[in-house]
Amino acid sequence: MREILKMIVVLTCISGISGFALSSLKQMTAPTIELQLLTFVQGPSLKQVLPDYTNDPVQERKKFTNPLTDKPVNVFPLKVDGELKAVAIEGFGGGYGDNIGVMVGFDPADNKLVGIGITTMKETPGLGTRIAEPDFRAQFSGISENEAKLKSQGGVIDALSGATISSGGTVAAVQDAGKIYGALKEEILQAFK
Amino acid sequence: MAGMWKEFSKGLWAELPPFRLLLGLCPTLAVTTTAENGFGMGMAVVFVITLSSFIVSLIRKIIPKKVRIACYITVAASLVVAVELLMQAYAYPLYQQLGIFVPLIVVNCLILGRAEAFAGKNPVHLAVADGLGMGLGFTLSLTFLGAVRELFGTGSVFGMEIMGASFEPVKFMVAAPGAFVALGLILAGMNYLSIVQAKRRGEPAPENPSTGCHACRACAGRK
Repeated sequence: MREILKMIVVLTCISGISGFALSSLKQMTAPTIELQLLTFVQGPSLKQVLPDYTNDPVQERKKFTNPLTDKPVNVFPLKVDGELKAVAIEGFGGGYGDNIGVMVGFDPADNKLVGIGITTMKETPGLGTRIAEPDFRAQFSGISENEAKLKSQGGVIDALSGATISSGGTVAAVQDAGKIYGALKEEILQAFK
Repeated sequence: MAGMWKEFSKGLWAELPPFRLLLGLCPTLAVTTTAENGFGMGMAVVFVITLSSFIVSLIRKIIPKKVRIACYITVAASLVVAVELLMQAYAYPLYQQLGIFVPLIVVNCLILGRAEAFAGKNPVHLAVADGLGMGLGFTLSLTFLGAVRELFGTGSVFGMEIMGASFEPVKFMVAAPGAFVALGLILAGMNYLSIVQAKRRGEPAPENPSTGCHACRACAGRK
């Protein structure tokens, strides 16, 4: 009995201490990790949304509260020579493996999509990962949010053959970003004037 | 001091983890496409194995025999998550390159092997020396293998052009089969060296120089 108790106590203590140490480490590194994500994941995807912006959208980003979920969202302004050409918002949709993150640029003048860039995905290499290729992404440029659905759903997007779920996930992520944009549009335009 | 040096240095040559003990081969084969990746992976392992040897040795007297493996795994897993967080915070491109192989350090048999065979039975200073030596040996091996593959596969080492413009890269070397071929050739080289050394000392050439329990003190029972 004593032996069993000792086993339980020791293992519980070790797990407890590690859990505590890890959660404090996670809190400590969270701001740095967010900055790294901005530099290495979201930053490059902005280049895919609108290749020729001239400002520094990562520096000029603003945080808004998504009224649908009450979570904070980053909004990136993309400017060409000081003129606001697009605002980019990251949306998420369920893919074949984990969520697909898509950076979607909206043109504030007519609310159409400027372009999309893939931020995070764990799709099957060679099949699902083709959603990041320019040919597929180009379909999203210059269409309205309503049109940004698969053809089977009444939209204009051709799904990639062999990667229907990944294509659907991308569309879902675009719709997600579209909802955030729709809800925050007034606030965003006010902030970036 | 002499004891510490002995435990430290054995990991650098006599018991070089991937090439002598043949432990931790999965990351050795998978991430060594470039010297830099091998080095980064090695440093992550150095961090985990040194600290896990330290902690395991520190608490070896309070760990009940029957749950020791679970305790070792908990310690190693916590350290690996710490490495993952730190790597994301300070070396994100490396984290993207290594991907799944960082969390897989938990089940790297090298970590558990050293905890079970050495740190669980020896005082703290020897355990740290052993962990550091093994970790550095692992790093050296991975960097070397990565450098060889990068040199022939892309013509550069650590991203620096070595072979000149006329060199036609052997793409095969940076693909998965190239890892096996390069590792096999290095192992053959290590065995050849052992045979030559033994002959020079006037001993009969060992039949199978790099494997077999007699060659490795990892399993030798120490107090």
